[in-house]
Amino acid sequence: MLKTTDLGYWYDRQENSLFEHVNLEFKSGTSYAIVGQSGSGKTTFLSLLAGLDKPRAGQIELNGEPINKIGLNNYRKSHVAIVFQSYNLFNYMSPLNNLLTAMAVTDSSHRGDKAFAAAMLHKLGITDAQMTKNVQKLSGGQQQRVAIARTMVCDAKLVVADEPTGNLDEENTKYVIEQFQRIAHDQHKCVIIVTHESDVAKACDHSYRLAKHEFALEG
Amino acid sequence: MNFFKRAWLNLTAKKGRSILLILVTSAIMLFVLAGLLIRNAADSATSNAKRSVGATVTLSANRAAAFKQMRSRSSTSKTSRPKLTTSPVKLSDAKQIAQLNNIASYSATVSTSANATGFDAISTSGNSSTSGGMGMKGGSTSGSGDIAISGVTSTSSTPAFEEKSSKMTKGRGITTSDEGTNHVVIESELAKQDNLSVGDSIKLKATTGTKKTYTMTIVGIYKASSSTSTQQGPGATDPSNSVYTSYTFANTVKGSKYQNTADSVTFKVSNPAKVSAVKTAGKKLINTSKYSLTTNDSSYQTVKASMANVKSFADKIVWLVTIAGTIILALIVILMIRERRYEIGVLLSLGEARWKIVAQFFVEMVMVLVVSIAVAGVGGKFVGNQLGQQLVSQQATTATTSSTATQTKGGQPGVGGSAPSGNRKPSDNMSGAPGSHTSGTTTQKQAELDVSVTVFDLVELGGFGLAIMFLSIMLAAGGILRLQPKKVLID
Repeated sequence: MLKTTDLGYWYDRQENSLFEHVNLEFKSGTSYAIVGQSGSGKTTFLSLLAGLDKPRAGQIELNGEPINKIGLNNYRKSHVAIVFQSYNLFNYMSPLNNLLTAMAVTDSSHRGDKAFAAAMLHKLGITDAQMTKNVQKLSGGQQQRVAIARTMVCDAKLVVADEPTGNLDEENTKYVIEQFQRIAHDQHKCVIIVTHESDVAKACDHSYRLAKHEFALEG
Repeated sequence: MNFFKRAWLNLTAKKGRSILLILVTSAIMLFVLAGLLIRNAADSATSNAKRSVGATVTLSANRAAAFKQMRSRSSTSKTSRPKLTTSPVKLSDAKQIAQLNNIASYSATVSTSANATGFDAISTSGNSSTSGGMGMKGGSTSGSGDIAISGVTSTSSTPAFEEKSSKMTKGRGITTSDEGTNHVVIESELAKQDNLSVGDSIKLKATTGTKKTYTMTIVGIYKASSSTSTQQGPGATDPSNSVYTSYTFANTVKGSKYQNTADSVTFKVSNPAKVSAVKTAGKKLINTSKYSLTTNDSSYQTVKASMANVKSFADKIVWLVTIAGTIILALIVILMIRERRYEIGVLLSLGEARWKIVAQFFVEMVMVLVVSIAVAGVGGKFVGNQLGQQLVSQQATTATTSSTATQTKGGQPGVGGSAPSGNRKPSDNMSGAPGSHTSGTTTQKQAELDVSVTVFDLVELGGFGLAIMFLSIMLAAGGILRLQPKKVLID
């Protein structure tokens, strides 16, 4: 589904590149973990896959088409759903409106379907009372569930998550991992998670380690 | 869900911030509106001034030419004392001029005097010196009467009545229907002293020509303001002895050769801006060696200059407030949008178009603007009125001061329609007679600003507001929207 060819990224000089000549392939219905030390470039790699930034070298293809040809904005809108460590929800909206906004912006096939959005929130343990109050009034775990529900209401086939469990306790971490597995296996989506937690990495179908500017398959 | 709904949700969710934003925007809009109102009011006041203040062109004897002739005669004949001879204005000439474009109306003025017969004229200490004292404009005073007759086309068109220094208290004024009649309007003090009222008859004896006695019917009594007496000079009769008749009667008193003539004819020009054009066209119709056309549009020029100053000040207010408002709002919006950098990142990560993100901020600001315009609309009239009246009164004071200074230097008695007639004795043109008005006392009409809020003003204000908002948002959001979403979200 998603393929990187000779992918490279550096900030100021190529000699100091974070990674170069990365050739990886990510398939639908599979979950992937990307692990590595802090500052190794995991998040940067993820942001390239998510179309949040442009690579310095090489290219990324989605189903054989380079994403820069699709257009990064269109790519993000129609093909990718992103989950951040800090949830990145609209803090002036309710969980329900967060989902409805995402559905509207991404032209989801369920656009405007309140019942569908509410069902997704229910599925992730958000009650009726919680889904209509301001999202900031929810706990961290609940907010991350809303962020995951947001990826489920969009039609994107690629879900990328940057340290999605970084702010969560053990119980919520376990719950969130289960949800990502369901998204990958039940909804047949490609899930790529950047994490520094070994439990999360182990739970994923495959795991890549970024070390010394190179990716290595761990499992 | 679209950017309109997001804008609405944002405004309603952050009520405190929205109210603060509305208050700041209202304050800026209030001052912009006040400036716009004053500017528009100054514009309409100037155009109203064109219509209401008015300007006049006066046809009278050409005194300068008459003096020139007198001097040339004196150089050839050294035996007799030279005499100034001026010709009365022919009404046929006046009628021709009245046909010109931009002439709204005209009125003829004839000044003469007669003696009171069977009733007493008011006698003042100043008046007692009249017979043997100094006469106006030199020459002998013999033959002057104690009643000053002002023959007019209609009293309402005389400067004294137009400027409200004289007012009808009983009966009616002289009108064109009084032509050929012996109807008279007398002053209230004279009426009181002689116990006269409307419908009574008085007798006037001509002091020139046939010296005939005329029986007059009183059709009205007027009251002259006390300031009229200040116009009195040595040799002048008391202002209460001034009476109005039709100009035809005044001509009869003066003698048969004055039939169909007038001392001066004053033409009202409908558009004061055209006063020079009227004068040029009028000169082609008259014998300029005998007659002259003088213009008087000083009131119009004063109001025009005053309003131009007000308008220029209002323009500066509008621009200053707009620039200051843009800066203030831009700073607020920049802070607000920087605070929402994270939200922009989320929207960009979802694939939202950049223009829609700008549009959301714009819609939010427009919603704030609509409420602010309503607030400004309510308060703007009050602020505009206060500011406008303050400005006008300052401008009027300046204009009056400069106008008075000019008149003190160059004011010539008799300007405004009552130049002395040919062969007329000095007493014939007594200052203080109802028909005469000296330049030094010309009332300056003060333009008033009608500051009212119209739909157009609010639309104009909305336009300004939108421009300010758009500029502010572009300045604020430009920096963030140029960045890659990763920079906004992760860095």
